[in-house]
Parts: sequence; structure tokens; C-alpha cells
Amino acid sequence: MKTTITGLAFAASIFSTLATIGPAAAAETANIWVRADGSNFMPRIVDAFNKGHENQIKLDIIPNAEIIPKYGAAAAGGTAPDALSLDLIYTPSFAAAGQLEDITDWAKSLPYFDSLSPAHVKTGTYKDRIYGLPFSADSSVLIWNKKLFKQAGLDPEKGPTNWAEIEAYAEKVNALGGDIKGFYFSGNCGGCNIFTFTPLIWASGGDILTEDGSKATLDSPQLRGAIDLYRSMVKKDLVPAGAQTDTGSNFFAAFAAGNIGISPSGAFAIGALNTQYPDIDYGVTFLPGKDGGWSSFAGGDNFVVTKGTTKIAVVKEFLDFAYSLEGQTILAKYGSLPVRGDIANEALKDLDPRYKIAAEAMAKGRTPYSVVFNDLINSANGPWNQMINEVFFGEDVNGAIANAQETMQSIIDSAPQQ
Amino acid sequence: MTSIAAISSPARRRKLVGAGRRQWIGLLYVAPAVALVVVFFIIPLCMTAWMSLHNWPLMGAHSFIGLDNYWAILRDTRFWNALKFTGYYTVVVTIAIFVVAFPLALFIERPRPLTGFYRTSFFMPAVIGFASASLLWSWLLNVDSGLFSPAAFELGLTEKKVNLLATFQPAFWSIIAMVVWKVAGFTMIILMTGLQSIPPDLQEAAMIDGAGPLARFRAITLPLMRRTLALALILSVAGSVLAFDQFYIILRGGPRNQTLTAVYWIFNQSFVSFKLGYGAALSMVLLVILVALSLIQLRLLRQPEGVD
Repeated sequence: MKTTITGLAFAASIFSTLATIGPAAAAETANIWVRADGSNFMPRIVDAFNKGHENQIKLDIIPNAEIIPKYGAAAAGGTAPDALSLDLIYTPSFAAAGQLEDITDWAKSLPYFDSLSPAHVKTGTYKDRIYGLPFSADSSVLIWNKKLFKQAGLDPEKGPTNWAEIEAYAEKVNALGGDIKGFYFSGNCGGCNIFTFTPLIWASGGDILTEDGSKATLDSPQLRGAIDLYRSMVKKDLVPAGAQTDTGSNFFAAFAAGNIGISPSGAFAIGALNTQYPDIDYGVTFLPGKDGGWSSFAGGDNFVVTKGTTKIAVVKEFLDFAYSLEGQTILAKYGSLPVRGDIANEALKDLDPRYKIAAEAMAKGRTPYSVVFNDLINSANGPWNQMINEVFFGEDVNGAIANAQETMQSIIDSAPQQ
Repeated sequence: MTSIAAISSPARRRKLVGAGRRQWIGLLYVAPAVALVVVFFIIPLCMTAWMSLHNWPLMGAHSFIGLDNYWAILRDTRFWNALKFTGYYTVVVTIAIFVVAFPLALFIERPRPLTGFYRTSFFMPAVIGFASASLLWSWLLNVDSGLFSPAAFELGLTEKKVNLLATFQPAFWSIIAMVVWKVAGFTMIILMTGLQSIPPDLQEAAMIDGAGPLARFRAITLPLMRRTLALALILSVAGSVLAFDQFYIILRGGPRNQTLTAVYWIFNQSFVSFKLGYGAALSMVLLVILVALSLIQLRLLRQPEGVD
């Protein structure tokens, strides 16, 4: 392992510094970008790496919405960073665009390759070659407010385990009245709902896309069931009116304000609540299926390398560090779940025990695979977002599903085939 | 003939040289402006036109495809719908702005107590950027933590808090209100300068002839303000056709994609679907439409000014 890396470092540095004849150890600096979601843990791990290594990493933090266009522009201008911590769902489309370095051989040489987060590796693989490896992780879970549960006469230590319980508990909390509401979700945010709503469908045995992303499969009893659950809660006024137009800005803030009984959320909320809202007493559980069972959206970032970079050795050295126990512990401490299953427990052992639930959700979590994920799901004007808003709050559920099914399929079919 | 030419030519040449030099100096004076226009308008425009002839993804290689992007636009119903909505919005918002700005201009035109205060406060929203104003209104319009819905509820005007952004009509008119609030002050200042350029003796003469205020407004004020109106109208129409920020920030094109404007669609194609070449072609189409609109307006309002 070590020798391959040194060998590669040697080759790379000779390649990049043809003029200077010198030892392979000449210190180099690689540039890495991360989206703003990683602004908590990324600087910490980069600092730790830079302190202990001769080669250095220069980190740039880019606003979430801008990292894709900015990277595209930089790549076109030849100034792209050497590597990028990329929202994992974009890995297939970046790989399809021929923008990423094939790192299959290196990835498979890692002794712990098999215990790396499967969701990341799946999205990091394009046409049987690996272009991205897991870096940071976030899984979707259900959180509930223990204080409100107690006030409503519910067991504060027991979260809902199926859909009927979600609705019943939310109703009880809602009955407290005033500003207190039973349930919250961001009703106009495609990204939020693929993260927290689809696990309800998965846990019940349905799906919205086929495994390879080639077919949209919206018209299923499981999707309709989950829609009925949300519609019923909206109808009973268990959900604040603002949910209908929340484009995601209130995704976390609504629960953090302390007036919401139950809300689907993510592992990130554990770190954020603990540090920013220490007064909120909350529980974490899995997103359940209709009659029990559970599922989760395994999200986070893949680490990808820009095609043709000369600093690949530094980049690999950095990723090796991130995969070490030290690296995984730093990541976990500052808001990302560990991505190495084999040492996850060790990395989490001194942290908030609620992380364990999120880590387990991550390990068995799923991630839809599509080269047009942005168009289908994340776009505020895409078919998925339009559908969820209509089916949760509108009149014509059947029409909305049929329309979304058709639009999604046509987007998939007209995607560039390579 | 020749002698005349011989005599007159040196003088003429000297004159020409003088004029030439003056022109040369004039060019020098405008050179910075020309350079700015070339670098920041002409060159990007040519690049956009060039890109529009390519299949140009945000990442990866691009390839020349001739006019294919333009043929695709013809079949792009969502773009034409966006354009239709943009047209509707432009008409409504332009009328709304003038309906508010004209009375304001008449009100602040003549010196009276506190004129300075009124002018400043009416104009104030115009100095805020569209994005910041949108963020402000995004909060004001929020149903849970904003101002309008909770206030109406507390005052007993509505039975429960109404989510203004959830359905098309209230959402659309909220945006109109926000844009009028933001832009009317600017239009007001333009109209005011027009009003002030009308010689007061004309009004007095008409008054002596016995013309009432409405007749004077129709026969003197409006015709004499033709150019000012043209300027205000073109600025308003061009600004509205290019509307994007407020729909992106406050509504995200919702509810249910009913408020997608042309520029919003271009943005989506370029940076959500990563099709820069197609986005460029859409931009060229929008540019042509906008130039045509401006030419039509100029022509309609170019007629003689009556007294000049």
C-alpha cells in the first residue's frame, strides 16, 4: 500500500517538475474544494493533515448552490481544483462528462475498500469504473421533541415506529395548541424530500427509480400510501402553514425552534442541535415503513479527482489520512458520519450516542442513482418537486403523479447517452 | 472650375484637419467608454452567439451543431410558456408602476412643505438591490414568521394565517406589490424631471383660457412629456422582461412552476441542466425580442413633441 503511494508520488512529482531534478519528497500543495455544508469539519481535517505532513492542502469553501457551475467554469478554464468533495449524487453526471480521474485501481487496493460506505461507492461508480470515494456522510432519520412528547402525555423515550404512530403522536403533540405543531417537512424542496420522504417508501418496499436509474417508477401503492400519510397530517392541520412554500430554508430551523413534535431530518441535525440549540431535548430514530421496518437516504460527499491533475499523489495522501482512525474521528466530531464501516464504532465511541442510530441508518441507507439527478429531483422546478408540492397540498394526486412520471421518464430518456 | 478647386482645397483641407483632430480627440475622450462596452458587452455577446451554435455542456467537450439549439427552442413549450408569463408580468407590472409613480411625481413635483422628505422616502427603495429587496419581502411574506399574514390574522381580518405564496394569484400580486414598492420611486424621479421641464407659462396661459386641471394634464402635460414617458416606459419594460431575482428568491418559480420567467428558464437550462449552449441560444432569442420591443416603443413615442 504505502509503497504504491510513494511510487506514485515519485512518478507524479517527476512528471510535474521535469526541470527540477530532485527527490520525490519535494513538498507540494494540492487545491481542494468543498461545498458550504462541509464548512464545519473540512477545515479541521485539512488543518490536522497540514500539521502532520510535508505536502499541503489548500482548501476553498464554495456556497452550496454555486459549486457545480463554478467547478464547470473552472474546469473549462483549466483552473479546476485538484480534487473536490462533491455531493455524491452528482458523481455519475460528473463522471459521464469525462471530468473525473479514474481511480479504480487505487480504490480497490485499499485494504478496507469493502467496508467503505456502499451508497457512496455505488454513486461513485460509472460504467464499472470508480470515479469517487466516500468522504463525508449524512443519513436521514426521524427526530422528535422529548419535552413536547412529555407534555402531550406520550413516552418521551419512544419514537414512532410506523406511519400510524407518526400520525397519532403528531396529533397528540398538536393538541397542545398555541404555536405548537405536530409535524414539519419542507413542502417545496425536492432535495429535502428525496432525503426524508423516499425512505418512507423504501421502508415499505417501493421505489421511485429503478436500480440503474433508467426508469421512473412513481406509480406505486407505497408512494400513494406515504402521500396519504402526509396529506392526512396536512388536512388535520398538524403541519404549519409555511411548510407548503418552504424551499428548504426552514428544513432544520423549524424543529430547532422547539415548537415541532416530529420532523424527518438528517444526521447533521445531531451536531447542529447539540452545538447551536443545546436546550432542545430530542430523540433520534429511523424513518419507518408503513408497518414497521425502516430505511434511510445515505447522502454526503464523494471525494473525486479532477482529470489530468498533477497532484494526485498529494490528494491520495490526504484521503488516506481522512480514512485513518484519526481522520474519521475528526470528521465525526465535527458533523459528518464515519464512512469506514470497520472503524465507525471506534470513531464514534466518545460521541453523542444518538450518532449510532444515524451511523446504522447510513450503513444500510440507499441512494438513487441517476446522471440527471439535478434535473429530476433537486431542481426547484423539476418534476419531483412539482409533484410533491401538488400531492401534499393540491387537489389532483393522480394527475400530479402521472404528470411527474411522464416528465421524469422523458428527462431520463433525453439525457445524453455516452 | 479647377482654379476654384485649387483655391478652396487648401482651406478645406486645413479645416478638415482641424475637424479630424477634433474628432480624434473626441474619440479619445469616449475611448474608455467604448473599451468598456467592447470588453463587457460586444465580446461577451459574440461569445454567447458562438456558444449558441454548439452543444456546450457545463463540463466536458463541446461540439458544433449549427442551428440545432434554435430548432430545439421552437419545440420548447416550457420556454414559450415562460415567455408568455413574462409578457403578462411585464404588462401588469408596467401599468402598476405608472399608476403609482405618476401621482407620486405630480405630488412631489412642486415645492411644498416636506417635499424633500417625501422625495427621499419614495425614492429610498430604489437604492436597494433587487436581491436584497427580495430577501426582505421573502421574510415579510412568510406565513409563520413574517409580517403580512400574522398581522392580518392578529387584527382579525383573516380566520387563520393565509400562506400568500401558496397559490398563484396572491403570490403573483405579492410580487407585483414588491416590485412597485421597489421601482416606483425611480420611475417617479424620471417623470418628475419631465414634469419640471414643462414651462410654467404654458400652464398659466391655459389656465387663463379657462382649461381645467384634467384638460391641462391631457393637452399640455402628457404631450410635452412624451420623451420622458418613453424613457420610463423602456426602462420599465426592459427591466420586467429580464425579471429573475424576485421570482427566484421569493417563489422559486412556484407555486408549481407557474411563475417561471424567461430569464429563469435560461438560468435553469444553463446551470441546473448544465446546457450552456442551449442557454446561450435562448439568451439570443430573448435579446432579439427585447431589441424589437424597444424599437417599437421608440417609434411609437418618437412623434413630434408639439412645442419644441
